[in-house]
Amino acid sequence: MKLILPPGVTAARFEQAMAAFARVLGKEWVLATDEDRETYLDMYSPGREESHAAAGALAPASVEQVQAVLKVANEFHIPLWPISRGKNFGYGGAAPRLSGTVMLDLGRLNQIIEVNEKQGYCILEPGVGFFDLWDYLKQNKIPLQMGIPGNGWGSVVGNALERGFSPLGDHSSNICGMEILLPTGELVRTGMGAMANGKAWPLFKHGFGPSWDQMVVQGNYAIVTKLCLWLKQEDEAAITVDVKLDKPQELQWYTEAVTPLRLRGVLDGLVRITSYQSAATVPTLRSEWYQGKDSIPDSVIPLMMKRFNVGWWNGALRLAGYSDVCEANLRRVLDRVAKFTKQEFKVIRGPGNASPGPSTYPLQMTNWYGGRGGHIGYSPVMPADGKLVQEQFERTRRRYQEFGLDYSGTFYNDGRSVTNVNLILYGKDDAEQKERVRKLFLALIADAREQGYGEYRTHLSYMDDVAASYDFNNHSLLRLNERVKDALDPNGILAPGRNGIWPKAYRAQRGKL
Amino acid sequence: MRAASLLLLSVLPLAALGAQTPAQLAARGQQAFAHRCGMCHREGGTGTFILARRLGADKSLLEKRTDLQPLYLRTVVRWGIGNMPRISRVELPESDLEAVTAYLTAPKGPAAP
Repeated sequence: MKLILPPGVTAARFEQAMAAFARVLGKEWVLATDEDRETYLDMYSPGREESHAAAGALAPASVEQVQAVLKVANEFHIPLWPISRGKNFGYGGAAPRLSGTVMLDLGRLNQIIEVNEKQGYCILEPGVGFFDLWDYLKQNKIPLQMGIPGNGWGSVVGNALERGFSPLGDHSSNICGMEILLPTGELVRTGMGAMANGKAWPLFKHGFGPSWDQMVVQGNYAIVTKLCLWLKQEDEAAITVDVKLDKPQELQWYTEAVTPLRLRGVLDGLVRITSYQSAATVPTLRSEWYQGKDSIPDSVIPLMMKRFNVGWWNGALRLAGYSDVCEANLRRVLDRVAKFTKQEFKVIRGPGNASPGPSTYPLQMTNWYGGRGGHIGYSPVMPADGKLVQEQFERTRRRYQEFGLDYSGTFYNDGRSVTNVNLILYGKDDAEQKERVRKLFLALIADAREQGYGEYRTHLSYMDDVAASYDFNNHSLLRLNERVKDALDPNGILAPGRNGIWPKAYRAQRGKL
Repeated sequence: MRAASLLLLSVLPLAALGAQTPAQLAARGQQAFAHRCGMCHREGGTGTFILARRLGADKSLLEKRTDLQPLYLRTVVRWGIGNMPRISRVELPESDLEAVTAYLTAPKGPAAP
């Protein structure tokens, strides 16, 4: 990838800045060859990779080096985009929003600083991956559970900061204190860590006064150098009710059935249900099922269901904890479900620690169309209400059919809200198909906005569109976010454009790709 | 799937270990492969599965291949191929890439130790 300079920075000035970064980090850790830039492109981009092209990357190995990098960036007005391990696939990977931004790759900050079994937390640097933490827990026989997303290749910290989730729940809600660097280089610890000898930093979220952790999550106000994250105690037993529903309209009763169980804590984490297609996209190619350019027709669905022994909708109601409590809760679950259906579901009893651990297996789905592929997700948040969930599914599926793409939907229910992850797969070298993906995505944003549902997280290319859908009082939240941005980051060097928040220096870039 | 002791690799810079014989380099490459590549390219991994689909089962496990060339491996790692993302110098430093390449291209056969 050829060099694209940051807006308003001359080639000579950029060269001076890179030389200054090299004095701080050593030449080896200033990555600015064409090949280096290539490695920070979004491999699964739904548009043009060049729309989000890094000018290079910097790889500090200590908090002090990050501080020194910030000093140089402020002096030369070089925009930086921090990444933990750069595996934010489906949302932009290791790429920046604004071309010409220099990546601040924190992968070398990779220490597991502490894991506390008794109180159930860990303190991590951003470069620690799910595999690293998993190995550490197993190697040291620590009976704690970690939430693991579908793609387990990435950073534990980075995933929590993006509000990633797993069946154990929303990972950002387990954050309890951070060490952060402000764009101007000042080091801050949040919550109880704000005390120089704070003993409850990873234990009590709020400290005294305003709580900053969630200001940092999905924001561009600070760089996280350490994160305290709660881990769940290992369960004694687990019972899974294997749910297969044969008709698409059964989503409504199922949502009505499980919502109060989740709200009362009979079920915990996120109650997930997913459509038939997720069984097929990993192990098979689309061409095995259908050759047409339009959406896979309904006639193929029973074939997929039969081959993989799945329903139209598939989920698992998981009860975990003390075994006698699980058995009591199981009776509640089966009684509740029996009010809605005569169908009987398989009940599987097992140990509480049966997680297979992190995996990259689901990435295989990007091969759905055969050649190079990619994926993005449109994931609005809506009320946990059966009728609304059913309507959302039907409306979304009609849109997939309108634009000739294969529907793949999953609903995650936390008892109050439902996050509806709509997976969109495409062939990366099919420009015409990618244009249909773009049209579908914009239509889904518009549909959800009309219903009053908003996305929880999105790809770099759609951040401005999604931010615009949060429109109460003429986008007053966005204006507030940008007032805070300008106050904390006067030169606008940190992650300009992240989630639609543009600093004054780059505000003219809003909406441009 | 991965040896727990390999966790040490995340904190020990391999480049610091100095000049090595080809066998030592390949041994180091085996560790780096397990830590950085194994989650996709060992038995049951997504890379193994896709390679089996594309080239056949006999070419799906990189550690058993005898036809891999250093320049090809380097290009695939840094520029990506198919559905495999590109790997940066932060994730796999040049010294580790050199070791992995030495490991994957080392002679294999019944006579090998």
